Amino acid sequence: MLDWLPENVSVFGEGVDHLFRLIYYISIAIFLLVNTIYILFIIRYRRKRKGEKAYHYHGNNLLEFSWTALPFALFLFLAFYSDGIWEDIKYSEKKPNPDLVVEVMGQAYLWHFRYPGSDGIFGRRERRFISPTNPFGVDPEDPNGRDDLTGINTMHIPVNKTILVRLSSMDVIHSFFLPNMRVKQDAVPGQWVDVWFNSVKTGEYEIACAELCGSGHYLMRAVLTVQPQREFDTWIDEQYTNKRVSLASAQATTNE
Amino acid sequence: MEAALHTGHDGHAAGHGHSNSFIRTYVFSTDHKMIAKQFMVTAFIFLFIGGAFALFIRWQLAYPGEPIPVIGTMLPSTWVNDAGAVTAEWYTQLLTMHGTIMIFAVIIPLLVGTFGNFAIPLMIGADDMAFPFLNMVSYWLFPIAGLIMMAGFFMEGGMAASGWTAYPPLSAIASPGQTLWIVSLFLIGFSSILGGVNYITTVLNMRAPGMKMFDLPMTVWAVFITAIIIVIGTPVLASALAMLFMDNFLHTSFFQPENLIVPTRDMSRTAGGGQPLLWQHLFWFYSHPAVYIMILPGMGVVSDVISTFARKPLYGYRAMVFAIVAIAFLGIVVWGHHMFQSGMNPLLGTTFMVSTMVIAVPSAIKTFNWLGTMWRGKMEFTAPMLNAVAFVSMFVIGGLSGIFMASTPVDVFIHDTYFIVGHIHYVLFGGSLFAVFAGLYYWFPKMSGRMYSERLAKWHFWITFVTFNGTFFPMHILGMGGMMRRIYDPTVYDFLKPFQPMNEFITINAMILGFAQLLLIANFAWYWFGGRKAKRNPWRANTLEWQAPSPPPHGNFDRPLHVYRGPYEYSAPESVQDYLPQTTSPEDLVEQRRHHEMRLSQVQQAEHLD
Repeated sequence: MLDWLPENVSVFGEGVDHLFRLIYYISIAIFLLVNTIYILFIIRYRRKRKGEKAYHYHGNNLLEFSWTALPFALFLFLAFYSDGIWEDIKYSEKKPNPDLVVEVMGQAYLWHFRYPGSDGIFGRRERRFISPTNPFGVDPEDPNGRDDLTGINTMHIPVNKTILVRLSSMDVIHSFFLPNMRVKQDAVPGQWVDVWFNSVKTGEYEIACAELCGSGHYLMRAVLTVQPQREFDTWIDEQYTNKRVSLASAQATTNE
Repeated sequence: MEAALHTGHDGHAAGHGHSNSFIRTYVFSTDHKMIAKQFMVTAFIFLFIGGAFALFIRWQLAYPGEPIPVIGTMLPSTWVNDAGAVTAEWYTQLLTMHGTIMIFAVIIPLLVGTFGNFAIPLMIGADDMAFPFLNMVSYWLFPIAGLIMMAGFFMEGGMAASGWTAYPPLSAIASPGQTLWIVSLFLIGFSSILGGVNYITTVLNMRAPGMKMFDLPMTVWAVFITAIIIVIGTPVLASALAMLFMDNFLHTSFFQPENLIVPTRDMSRTAGGGQPLLWQHLFWFYSHPAVYIMILPGMGVVSDVISTFARKPLYGYRAMVFAIVAIAFLGIVVWGHHMFQSGMNPLLGTTFMVSTMVIAVPSAIKTFNWLGTMWRGKMEFTAPMLNAVAFVSMFVIGGLSGIFMASTPVDVFIHDTYFIVGHIHYVLFGGSLFAVFAGLYYWFPKMSGRMYSERLAKWHFWITFVTFNGTFFPMHILGMGGMMRRIYDPTVYDFLKPFQPMNEFITINAMILGFAQLLLIANFAWYWFGGRKAKRNPWRANTLEWQAPSPPPHGNFDRPLHVYRGPYEYSAPESVQDYLPQTTSPEDLVEQRRHHEMRLSQVQQAEHLD
């Protein structure tokens, strides 16, 4: 059954999958144990004649104690064992030094992506500047924001690099879901949340929205392209050139 | 028998005047048994509405965009497109209303409203609830609230469409149907609180003479503890609903940050500055305990049923009571496990993971004690017992799948996928609903005075059991594949395309499952009036309700009661029978034994003469 999990291509995903497998085997063992006893009892302890008496017995404290203590120990172990992996994935003090920062903004029903243009610095943003034409709310006065690259429903990242995604939403709550990276994080309007991951394999992967955001929720699909650094750099340059061209033509139109 | 007079009777009869008018008996009744039946019938109606909604959802998931067979083109144009296929808008309303109806208008009214009302006074030997009028109001708020919720159908934009969890800002900028949803839940909350206050008071003050708290059957314990959770939790939901109502209507911003981009709505008067996560905290502070509101009474009913039909004392009675109390109190501190990926501080995730893992312990205790009860029992597999046995097994699966999502890193992947949908249905259908079936069949003779058809009930059970697993088990696999919940068309995603055959398999099972419930209704409708007359105590059970006539008259008991022992003295050596009612006095017991021995010696003498 474990084969049904989608292929994992991220470093942190290994921790998630490891725990999944561990809990899976524990559950199967408990399930089989309980249900074997259960079915044996059902077969063995049927009433055969009317009025037949059962064993008059009210319980045993030692047994009660042991089936309280054993699950308690098991579940506490699982909690503390899980927590180590959880801290690596989510705790801000474990946040790695990223090779690339991408800002992601959810809008019903698409994903906006923003890269810090050629200067490597994002333009300052504020919630009050957000508008349909300025999804990230970039301060129009800030020169650092002029060369920022924004795009819709396509995300490119270099392979084997640590990516930090800053996540928020323009309207309602969305959830940024990368099945193959084992990443899921709600995008909450009015709040920025950081998630990080590291893809070890190139290819195209799907990005989905996992939180109901309206009737078009199912259409909120984006594509993540993981590529070698060199190809990624080419892609960024292309985007940057396109942006300059379109800016220039826009400039030309206003000048005319 | 010791003449311990049950003082309530005469005063009760005088107080109510025993009016025989149709309206006082069947409509505005203050009799707890009638109110229980009213809850049951109303909940059955909603069960079929909610069930039909589920089948529409399943059809769309298995055959996205294809017309609904037979009835597709007959449905209103706001629901389906010209070809008769479910639209995305209606789909979102369907999933919202399915969840809301099944939780608030089916399971809670059946477990708490029906069994709480029917069983509490009868099982503690009282003539009615402590506050019969309050009880009537508690019922009548429920159909009114149900109608208000369904009225969204006539509004622009249709019924509520933000999911049963109604996360703002989506629910704060929604269509009028959402406002009706809020008002409706607010009223249902009041209904619950009125019922809860009533249950607590009744259990504490109106037990029959001689009945200590630890003589209470598990059903009463469970509903009693549930009532306490309701009284603690529901006001919090009510306050959250009030805030959401104001966000929708009065341009407040409890849950809305500044400058939301909403093209469909004028946001200029909404100041912003609110926090969407606040709703989630308040909502789950009620709605996680609500999961226990929906399972604890079921556990109580199942404990009683298993002990009765195994002819054996409930294993570890006190441990069972303490486990319920533990679940109730831990249940209040685990709400954050719904919010691991919400943007809440991950440190809180760690805390809630630990508390969530710990709450699995009392559930394990209960499971082992049910097994212990069956050990060396003499089990008789009537319909109530079959359903109770299924409950335990399904609850184990629901509990184990819960461990996956309790572990925060695993939850990163399975959160908001069909794994969760599978889990919740194993708990609320495999758990709660099987317990409802067990209880309904168990008390059918007492409620109606007739016997149901055992054959029909067994057909109903087996079809339900098989197709239930066929429907909900594969959902775990869909979840492992990453299929998100609440999506209208999974085929939009390449990684979900391989799962389409499984979606079809689920839908076929779901269809059979849905239609199989007609067997339950047929059994009830026909045998309620036409069944064989039921004896006072057809299951040879110990608890007090079986000392009343079937069906019990207004005021319940026709003879004074005194309680001498706990509810689970099955197969006690001091009794000549395999059961020992709570009301049998020690003197009667001696008398019975003498009688029995005399008869035995007569038989022996007769054999000797031969």
